Amino acid sequence: MKIIKFSPLFLLFIFCVSLIPLFTQQEVVLSIREGMPAIPVACPSFHQEDNHPLVKEAAQTLRDILLADLRYSRVFIPLPESYYQYVPPLNPQNIQFKNWESIQAKLLFVGSVSQGEKENSVVLEGKIYDVKSQRFILGRKYNIDPSLLRLAAHKMADELMKLYGEPPLFTSKIVFVSNRDGNDEIYLMDYDGQNQVRLTYNRVRDYMPAWAPDRKKIAYTSFKEGQAILYILDLEQGKLTTVQNEGTNFAPAFSPDGKKLAFCSTLEEGNSEIYVAQSNGTKIRRLTFNKAIDTAPTWSPTSREIAFTSDRSGTPQIYIMDAEGTNIRHVSFGGNYHDAPAWAPTGERLAYVSRVNLIFDLYILNLRTNQIIKLTESNARNESPAWSPDGRHLVFSSNRKGTIQIFSIDYDGTNLRQLTFQGENKLPDWSK
Amino acid sequence: MGKKEKSPKPEGGLMKKLIVLSLVLLVTFVFFTGCRKKVEEVPPPPPQVKEQPKVEKVETPPQVKEPELTEEEIFERKTLEELNAEQPLQMVHFDFDKYDIREDAKPVLAANAAWLKKWTSVKILIEGHCDERGTEEYNLALGEKRAKAVFDYLVSLGISSDRMRIISYGKSQPLDPGHNEEAWAKNRRAQFTVIAK
Repeated sequence: MKIIKFSPLFLLFIFCVSLIPLFTQQEVVLSIREGMPAIPVACPSFHQEDNHPLVKEAAQTLRDILLADLRYSRVFIPLPESYYQYVPPLNPQNIQFKNWESIQAKLLFVGSVSQGEKENSVVLEGKIYDVKSQRFILGRKYNIDPSLLRLAAHKMADELMKLYGEPPLFTSKIVFVSNRDGNDEIYLMDYDGQNQVRLTYNRVRDYMPAWAPDRKKIAYTSFKEGQAILYILDLEQGKLTTVQNEGTNFAPAFSPDGKKLAFCSTLEEGNSEIYVAQSNGTKIRRLTFNKAIDTAPTWSPTSREIAFTSDRSGTPQIYIMDAEGTNIRHVSFGGNYHDAPAWAPTGERLAYVSRVNLIFDLYILNLRTNQIIKLTESNARNESPAWSPDGRHLVFSSNRKGTIQIFSIDYDGTNLRQLTFQGENKLPDWSK
Repeated sequence: MGKKEKSPKPEGGLMKKLIVLSLVLLVTFVFFTGCRKKVEEVPPPPPQVKEQPKVEKVETPPQVKEPELTEEEIFERKTLEELNAEQPLQMVHFDFDKYDIREDAKPVLAANAAWLKKWTSVKILIEGHCDERGTEEYNLALGEKRAKAVFDYLVSLGISSDRMRIISYGKSQPLDPGHNEEAWAKNRRAQFTVIAK
């Protein structure tokens, strides 16, 4: 009997939206920094090339999703809908850039939707213009199966992100643990909580999933016959590799360079220590040697350091060590219970959980300035923070509404959203 | 067989006596043939065959032996699920954020050790659990520490370490779903599962 099975559903998103290179590519990378105002994007209603109801509906849906993505990004900001009344309707063949400049658009997104060759499919053509220089920057054409409109819009939005040197955000996936079907199993969802699909089908608990940076593998713990075994699941091949099956093994974390896998194991002396393996699970090496608990490893963006939790000083505190296990230094301060560090992919921020008077809130420590920001403020347990690929957003679990659910929040504490509603949901990890 | 031959012997006595005697004999006859029939009818299951000699020498074996034998037999016949349902090993509790064995847990563990010494073939899993007032990551490690503390204590009481395994469930399996001190105190525990016998 095979105990662990997978849903092939998640593979769909990899194959079903085909990208057709449309225009000659120019390598335009504009870089933006934090604190810069978001870039206003004009995105007038998408042109409909056929009068087919399907096209009409798709044009509306695609635009809505694209705008929601841009609004979430903190990089872009869509123009308010009311601004469009001040300019004449867009003629894609003859764009009057001065008009768009007059309503403060920096970028102009011109979308057009037509019927596809396959039945019910539609084609989205998106062109991005720089308004001031009146230049065409980028074009994309997607042949879309009707069930995958969301994905196509997310891909389009990610093209905009890439244009500004940002990692793809809207096609990223959040892996998490849910008990909605009876016991704790692993699920996937989009960044916005859509498309929640079940990944593992066990009768045992599956726990603490973590993405590999290639978005193709997930490491997680499965409790089987009284053992907490660490596995690596290859999403494309459906292959499962055992990393460590002696002791209790948990809290996996792939290094951002994709070469290593750090995790906790109680292999020796029933005490949680941090180990590191190759990313395929072989060549396991112990990193911490301490009678205290060492847990919750998270890698620096350079893959050269690991932050982790240890109670070697008496209470759980956050430390950073070199990836070889040396040069350990204490970084948390001002409290006696800190755990679950998550190192932002952008480098200087460390999100973590702090327990104060039995309330758990998320904090962000700026490693460069040593300043701390309190991210959540609720009379509840906010836990397990994980960063978005661009380091502007986080997901976490919270019981602020009674049951444990997954929320997302921006790095400055704004834009709180609840992503899950069914059963209890926890331990999210965001693909990078 | 010999007893069956008795019946023709008292022939020629008084009618009354004869009737009484024959009645008595009939009863004994019926009883013994009944017994024999049972044995003859069901030869395959060995435990029934074993029972026959017991009936014949009721007086000889001391009765003390019988219950001792059955206790083991009963133990042997139980499935692991049935055995675990009886909870032969009592759980122990821990203080908040702590994993050292409390004074009130020591007699409980001593009783558990005594049971383990009695049933030497038993292997157990020690599960460490935590209350909800800890983070997922730290609690998983803390639960393991609690299980390990119990493991070490049982080893110190003479239980062989190869009979015990430990695991942590962190805060994922609370006994009491409540959010108060009473529930938390219940949930900070190490509990036992028999995994082999």
